[in-house]
Parts: sequence; structure tokens; C-alpha cells
Amino acid sequence: MYAVLEAIIFVFHPVHFFFLFIGVAGGIVVGALPGLTGSVGIILLLPFLFYVEPAVALIMLSGMFCGAIYGGSISAILISTPGTPSAAATLLDGYPLSQKGEAGKAIGVATIASTTGGIISVLCLIFIAPQLARFAVRFGPVEYFALMVFGLTIIASVSGESLIKGLLSGFFGLFIATIGMDPVMGYPRFTFGFTNLLLGFPMVSVLIGLFAVSQIFIQLEGVGKPQKAFNQRIKNVLPNRSELKRIFRVIIPSSLLGTFLGIIPGTGGAIASFMAYNEARRFSKDPDSFGTGNIEGIAAPEAANNGTTGGAMVPLLSLGIPGDVVTAVMLGALMVIGIRPGPLLFEQNPQVMNALFVGLMMAQFLILGLGLLSVRVFPKILKVPVRILFPVILTLCFVGAFSLSNSVYDMMVAFIFGLIGYGLRKMGFAAAPIILGVILGPIAEQELGRALIMSHGDWSVLLQSPIAIFFYCISILSVSYSLKSGLRKRKKS
Amino acid sequence: MAKGSTGRADIVVGGLFLTVSVVFFILSFDFPVKRAGLSPTIFPGFVTAVMFLLSAGLIIQGARKLRSEPSPAEIRPSGLTEEKKMFILRFILLAVLGIGYTRIISKAGFVLSTPFMLAGAMLIFNERKWYRILLVTVISTGILYSLFRIIFRVPLPRFDLY
Repeated sequence: MYAVLEAIIFVFHPVHFFFLFIGVAGGIVVGALPGLTGSVGIILLLPFLFYVEPAVALIMLSGMFCGAIYGGSISAILISTPGTPSAAATLLDGYPLSQKGEAGKAIGVATIASTTGGIISVLCLIFIAPQLARFAVRFGPVEYFALMVFGLTIIASVSGESLIKGLLSGFFGLFIATIGMDPVMGYPRFTFGFTNLLLGFPMVSVLIGLFAVSQIFIQLEGVGKPQKAFNQRIKNVLPNRSELKRIFRVIIPSSLLGTFLGIIPGTGGAIASFMAYNEARRFSKDPDSFGTGNIEGIAAPEAANNGTTGGAMVPLLSLGIPGDVVTAVMLGALMVIGIRPGPLLFEQNPQVMNALFVGLMMAQFLILGLGLLSVRVFPKILKVPVRILFPVILTLCFVGAFSLSNSVYDMMVAFIFGLIGYGLRKMGFAAAPIILGVILGPIAEQELGRALIMSHGDWSVLLQSPIAIFFYCISILSVSYSLKSGLRKRKKS
Repeated sequence: MAKGSTGRADIVVGGLFLTVSVVFFILSFDFPVKRAGLSPTIFPGFVTAVMFLLSAGLIIQGARKLRSEPSPAEIRPSGLTEEKKMFILRFILLAVLGIGYTRIISKAGFVLSTPFMLAGAMLIFNERKWYRILLVTVISTGILYSLFRIIFRVPLPRFDLY
């Protein structure tokens, strides 16, 4: 009880609360702006995180994550362009309702649903993550290695346009991670005499390049095209009592569905929101009204996609494997600020975890407050000209990359990886598996090295643990499932 | 984002990855081998070997796709559109600007080089109002300098004549 009180005092410290507020508000803005996603927002936040203590950085990051997921619904409702992939289902009913002159109500419903979904998922996170971590604390190098294999395959198998490309992206990330000194013997690999390469490519610069700089190049494609804007007056934000009753009938199950799907690595908000939308329509008394501005059609996907936020943090915090793209980036961000997610995090940093839980809960209330109070500001955010926004973001990427180790080399790496990332994204490769490869690769190699040292070089040790075998099995299952669904899709087309 | 890559693109990218994997697989043999435990050669060897197999798979997939696709001449009978040409030009300009900035900043310093980079990027992004370019470059450079140099004490590069 004392620990919880301590965490509450920590989060409500004016400076800490200010950082949480910046995280949530920044997340809403980033999520609302088409072309910027939660992952980009987290990356842009990275250079600033070095100057705050880890617990504050963590709550700021989580605030950004939750805010961005909610923010995606704003552009979906107002200009029919989902700010984040997880808001794609929200526009199905959100945009028609806003076209009927009820944009305020659409945003109000989305805000209430997002907050409730977020609260339910944070509660699940608080109860599930420590239990899972308590179980995972027994893991040795063999189990960790198997877990890393699982983390890599599951994300690779669901990312990108094909399984081959997803896996190739993951292995490309692992290949990048092999450059520099090997984690077991310290032998320099593929450095070609460049001292800069001895420590490998700087992870943050790779992150900035693959996610943020490549996104700027993608935005170049839209230059000259008119920017969508919302010019109506927004009124009546709050739904009435009967409407509230209606939406809460779908919010609760959708939130639970979102949380459950969020826990399964590799699913993410987009899948959860579409599933929740379909379920809401299936159980609705008036399914034909879906797609024409039904408020349940807004509440269900919004509750589900915000439900995934806490859910996705369960495997991230307790096992150290990300649940979706944004948490993959978050994993990188946490490693950079000196927090290694995994079972030991709960044992070694209970104060940080408690602060995170309280911060996450507060973030939901901030979303509610900001969402309802600044509803008239949202159309103005969408009017920020792309021709100003992206050049400024590019500069921030450069300065951010430089600030990490005060080196122009890091800026260069970020820019080159931006070009590589753009090329790969255009060819249908996803950036998330590359990042996972870069992050998880050295850990996997280190754990494998440890396991082999303990077994005196006996490789069969990798198959002697039932937990490790379980992870290998689900890795194989996830790859076979993606292979099967890919074949089915090809047959259909 | 690309809606779906063509078979030709898959073959080209697959070929690139295949070349990288073969070259680095061969290079990984130069690393020392340990009798027990994990040698520095094993992980890169395994990663490049799997990359090789996956790249080969991508090339085969691309070749299959290519058979069912219309020929490029059928898709683009009149060559590159004006819009596409402009995009390529902008892309090259931004790439040159970015690389140029990383080369120049250590000599010219942050304060001198950043406004030019920002103005260049804004022009590439089709901003034509000079007063807006001036305002944004000055304000953004000022904010970033104050934030990183003054508050965070990051030693941003300074003008260095020699």
C-alpha cells in the first residue's frame, strides 16, 4: 500500500506530471496527424528522455503510446484519414457521423471509449504482468534464447505483405546486429577497420532512420496534393444518457477483447479494432446502421484499440518481447534509457513499475480531459502544413541523432537508414521486424553463448527445457499459421 | 506505403539480399572458432545462411508473380508521369541535402548550417512563401539550439574555420 502511495506521489509531482502531460498531449497530436504514428512520436521523444530519470521517461513514453492510439481516431473522424492504422475501423462510422454535422459527438464517443478501454487494459496489466514476470523469473539462458526466437518469429510472421518479407526483415535486423564486437568474445565482426563500427550501428540512430526519416521520404510522395481539412463547427461533444448506455454495452466487451488481443504478441490495435467492430455489428439490434454513423461503430474499435495498449505492455514488461510495432519501438527506447524489460524489471525496479502503472492510469484520465476539452482545437492541428511540419521533423531527427553521443556519425547513420527504410517499406518490407532483429539479436546471441558455456558446448541443452520447447513450438505454429493464411489468400486472389 | 510490390521489384530486392548474404557468409569464415561455447562465426553464419534461403525464396516468389503480371509497357505506356518525375527529383534533392548537411555541419556549425538545411527541405516540400521559410528556419533553429545547447547542454557543432 505504501509503495502505491509512493508511486502516486511520484507521478503527481508537478515536474513528473508535466512530462506525463507532454507525453499524452504529444501523443494525441502525433496520432492525429496523418503520416505520423505512435512509433514516430516515441522516436522523436527519445533524445529528450536522456535528460529525465528512467521512471519519468517510462511514464512519458507510455503516455505518448496511449495518446497516439487515441489521437489516430481524430483524423479518422474529421477527415476520413486514420492517423494510425488502429484507427482505420473508427472511420467506418466516425466519418459518416461527422458528415452529418455531429463530429463533436463522434469525438466524444471515441474519447469515452478510448478512456474506458485504456483503464480496463491498465487494470489487466497491473494484475497479469507481475504474475507472468514471477513465472518468467525462473528462466535461464536456454529459455531466454527460446523466448527471443519466439519474439522474432511472431512479429516477423505478421508484419509486411508476405511471410518471406517479414522474416527477411527480421533476419536483416539480426544481420545489422552482428556488425561490431560479438557479445560473447568481443571479437570485431564486419567492421572493415572502421572504429565507429566496433560498437555496431547506434540503435537509436537506426530507429530514427527506419521509422522517422523514412516516413519523411514517404511524405514527399504527397507533395503538391491538397491537404485535407475539416471546416465545420464542432458542438455537442457529450453523448446523452441513452447513448451512453448504448455505447457502454459495446465498450466493456470490446475493451476486454482488445486487452486479450494486445497480450498476444504480433496482433496489435488494427486487428483488435476491426474484430471489435465486427463483433459489435454482429450483436447489434440494428446492424444495418453500421457504416452510416452508428455510435457503437465508433465506440467498439476505439475501446478495443486502446485496450491493446495495456495488453501489449504485458509481454513487453514481463517477458521483454513486444506485442506490436509501437511496443517494438518502445522496447528499443527503454533499452536506450537503461531499462531492460523482462521479469527482473519487477524484482529490481518495483518503484519504476508502480510509477508506470499509476502513470498509465493517469494517462487515461488525461486523454479523457484533453479529448473532451480541446475538441475544437483538433481541426486546427490537422491544418498544420505538411511543408513546414516534415522539414522541422527532419531537423529534429538530425539533432536528436546527434545528441545521443554528440557525434555527426550518428546523424549520418540515421539518414542512411532512413533511405534504406524508405526503400524497404516501398518494397513491402515492414520496419518493425528489422528493429526487433537489431534489439533482440544481441540478447539472443548472448543468451545462446551463456547456455553453451554452461553446457560445455553441448547444443542439445537448447532442447532440454520444456519451457524452451514450448516457445519453439509456438514459434513454429505462428510461422506455419502465417504460411497457411498466405497460401489461402493467394488461392482466393 | 506500397500497396504491393511487383515481381520485378521482389527479384531485384531478393537479388540484393542474396548478394549481401553470400558476401557476408564468406566473410564470416574469417572469424575465430572456439572449441566450446559460441564462436563469433556461428551467429553471423547462421543469420546470413537463413537470409540466403529467404532471399532465394523471394526471388522465386517474384518470378512467379512476374508471370502473372502485365508487362511494364502495358502498365506505363507513356513512361514516367510528370508527378513521378517531380517526386524522383525531390527525393534526390532531399537525399543530397541530408547527406550534405551531415558533411557540412561539423565545419559550418549547427547555427549556420541548419537554417539552410531547413529552408532547402521546405522548398523541396513545395513551400514557396519566402517570409514563411524565413520565419520557420529562424524560429526552429532558435528553439532547437536553446533546447539542446542551452537546456540539455549538448555540444552542438560550432563554426570551425580550420
